[in-house]
Amino acid sequence: MSVTRISFAAAVSLLLGCFQAQASSYEAATEQVKAQLVASADAVHPGDEILVGVQQRIIPHWHTYWKNPGDSGLATRIDYELPAGASVGEIQWPTPERITTGPVTNYGYSNQVTLLSRIKVPDNIAAGGVFPVKAKVKWLVCEEECIPQEVELALDLRVVLPDADVGRGSPLIETACVGLPVASPWQISLEHSDNALVLKIKGLGQQSASIGNIWFFPDDWGRVSHGADQPRHIAGDTVELQLKSGDAPLPSGTNLTGVLVVTEGTGSDSVTRGYIVDVAGSDSAPAKTESKLVLASAMLLALLGGMILNLMPCVFPVLSIKALALIKHARHEPRQTKLHGLAYTLGILASFLLLGVILIALKAGGAEIGWGFQFQSPLFVLAVAYLMFTVGLSLSGVFSIGSSVAGVGSSLAGRSGYSGSFFTGVLATIVATPCTAPFMGAAVGFALSQPPVVLLAVFLSLGLGLALPYLLLSNWPSLQRRLPKPGVWMDRLKQGMAFPMYAAAVWLVWVLAQQSGINSIVVALGGMVAIAFAAWLYEITKYSAKTAQRTGLGFSALLLSAALFGGYFGVQTPASAVAVANAETADRQWQPYAPARLKELRDQGKPVFINFTAAWCISCLVNEKVALSQDAVIDAFKHAGITYLKGDWTNRDPEITRILAEFGRSGVPLYLYYPAGVSTSPVILPQILTPEIVTQAVAAPAIAFKQ
Amino acid sequence: MLANRFSQSFLAGLMFIFAAATAHAEPIVNQPAPVFSGATADGKTINLADLHGKTVILEWTNHECPFVKKHYESGNIQGLQKQAAEQGIVWLQVISSAPGKQGHVDGDTAKKLNADRGATPTHTVFDPEGTIGKLYAATNTPQFFIINPEGVLLYKGGIDSIPSADKADIAKAENYISAALKELAAGKSITKSSTKPYGCTVKYAS
Repeated sequence: MSVTRISFAAAVSLLLGCFQAQASSYEAATEQVKAQLVASADAVHPGDEILVGVQQRIIPHWHTYWKNPGDSGLATRIDYELPAGASVGEIQWPTPERITTGPVTNYGYSNQVTLLSRIKVPDNIAAGGVFPVKAKVKWLVCEEECIPQEVELALDLRVVLPDADVGRGSPLIETACVGLPVASPWQISLEHSDNALVLKIKGLGQQSASIGNIWFFPDDWGRVSHGADQPRHIAGDTVELQLKSGDAPLPSGTNLTGVLVVTEGTGSDSVTRGYIVDVAGSDSAPAKTESKLVLASAMLLALLGGMILNLMPCVFPVLSIKALALIKHARHEPRQTKLHGLAYTLGILASFLLLGVILIALKAGGAEIGWGFQFQSPLFVLAVAYLMFTVGLSLSGVFSIGSSVAGVGSSLAGRSGYSGSFFTGVLATIVATPCTAPFMGAAVGFALSQPPVVLLAVFLSLGLGLALPYLLLSNWPSLQRRLPKPGVWMDRLKQGMAFPMYAAAVWLVWVLAQQSGINSIVVALGGMVAIAFAAWLYEITKYSAKTAQRTGLGFSALLLSAALFGGYFGVQTPASAVAVANAETADRQWQPYAPARLKELRDQGKPVFINFTAAWCISCLVNEKVALSQDAVIDAFKHAGITYLKGDWTNRDPEITRILAEFGRSGVPLYLYYPAGVSTSPVILPQILTPEIVTQAVAAPAIAFKQ
Repeated sequence: MLANRFSQSFLAGLMFIFAAATAHAEPIVNQPAPVFSGATADGKTINLADLHGKTVILEWTNHECPFVKKHYESGNIQGLQKQAAEQGIVWLQVISSAPGKQGHVDGDTAKKLNADRGATPTHTVFDPEGTIGKLYAATNTPQFFIINPEGVLLYKGGIDSIPSADKADIAKAENYISAALKELAAGKSITKSSTKPYGCTVKYAS
């Protein structure tokens, strides 16, 4: 780690050595602090915007302060004196650290810090002259004791013609840029109550395992108690940081601003980075009562929605079968009928409960899911398509299980009796899901964003709604009497009901094709032919001699397994192929890393940039966002003909582990740049990237760096 | 719903107990100020409870702190002490510097320092253990607290609105203590009752 940093720093200073000859900084020192004024260029063009910085090098154990100094202390102040027409922006404060002295907590800097400001050079300044920058810097430096100090620094920058080189300025500027807080890659929200604030960082949960430390620094004094613990709580993909209000609590209607500092990993391998926070507070107290009201209406909606589900093409056939069975058994004891209704209801509720629990588990695991999440799996879609088709065949009369001619009800869920009713309920739930996806999206979407108890309540309401019509029917003899008398119409109705099932199967095959590509249609339809054939064989051999019956059963089983296995393997491969194809079509700048590919490129002497990354690595993703995917970097890569390889270590690929070890790393990120030429050594880039670091590294002439 | 209401009131109760318990840790404006006692420079013991019926100002100080020096060398604090004395207000200087740390003094030194500076606090209270300081969550020198005759905290915060060690800023700054004293004299409540203190960290032992 430290070795690689040094080698990069050495590389930079090597490059800059020739430009550093003329002193572009002016120093002043006190007993505790050495200050120097530096700039991002050695000369300026009229109209330029440059960065200037005041670096403080502080002796050990002493510190200076951030813009919000915390419980005591004083922020450093810089007053720039510039020629007329020039202007200067606010100080850009690097990410601070926490300094604790007994019960007092301060926010500041130890060792060294560079405070940057942007300066606009006037347009009308004459080339050949000098642009003088003067800074009056006041700071308070403290260990146990505090000493206010003041220095004056001056820096003269040559004004050159627009096409002249301005030099590289001080490397301190670049180092300081790395330390500035960056835009947060997460969605941050704030819950605001009387005495506490809860900062919710959505998306950080996935990487929560790698967080060593996390701390929120408020921009304004007293918004948050400076020293109070900030307990964190992980809820799914969201990390919640509890903040105690300080002496100047956040007024309602005001945004909370500050810096969220996240340290990834521990020890010498850790990476610390600051993220800008600017969030509007939402009062949590009224939100609670509101969500209570919303819960009641969501449950009611779910109940109604569940009832409507009975009319859906996926469910109605199943239900009508149950109703037909009811008509048939109408002469049975009412008690028995009631129990059937209850068993059916229980089957539905149990299935919905199971679905809810699975959803909660997936949510806790951090997966991004919505209703119909199971339909993200092509295998599940195929299985349901097969099921719909099979039910359709059964309704059409191609086959029936059991000897009863009118035994449709029992054919569905296998067994008759109460367990049969229970499983009909389960079946109704399964076949209902494809219909709920489009229709129930909103209500279930609400439930998914809620705590587990609410989610289960909504799900059970949905199930109850689905079960309700049959439950009422089975419990209300007068309703049963209203049902028409059994007859041939029942068979006709049953057969007619097969068509919605076929239609549902067609829809599912279409869904499958979206997911797994055109080839999966062949697999699915072939599987259906096999199923139909198996059903037909089964039916014609059912009443034959024992041997024929066995042969028929054997063949049917063979065909069924062929359909299932064919489906399993058939939709698996295309699925990944599609994923790759999709990724390829996306506007992608990189190629996947492979040792052979690297060797091939190196043998040709082509320049290569390698990014070793992982989905759970925060700094990797941030670097990709703030540096590697920036236009400046993409252009620089294109310009220099660099091949950008990306090695994914999400699943800890041993091949990549070996390379990491080769470069003295135990983890990602690792950024390597192989300059053009067959025998050049790779340059190791720092773990925190800015577009400038990358573009400068790849723009540098190929010098053989020793690691 | 009933269970919900129950759990809500239960939670509210817990919060209340918690708030009551922490009230001592951090004084809240318009709440009773923490009661304390401590040794004075005269070798006596002073108890806040004994000052019932009088308005009291607490001033955390450390004579070597540059921010304290700013307000004493300019005569700013001495002026406030006179203004308070005219209104019959008790002014207590509190020194929470631990033995061996900056600003820790004995009784004679404290009296001599005040005599030399022309400072006229009613008493100087020593808090070498940092007990009173932590009771009030005092973090800075200088830092101020104002307590009314009923023992309720009316003000906590800094001396003025410009945090700096530069005497030239005093005239430009809004003096919070002077404004509070004027409002008290006029029988009004203090407009800015909680402000940001600035200065040196109180030199606690730990």
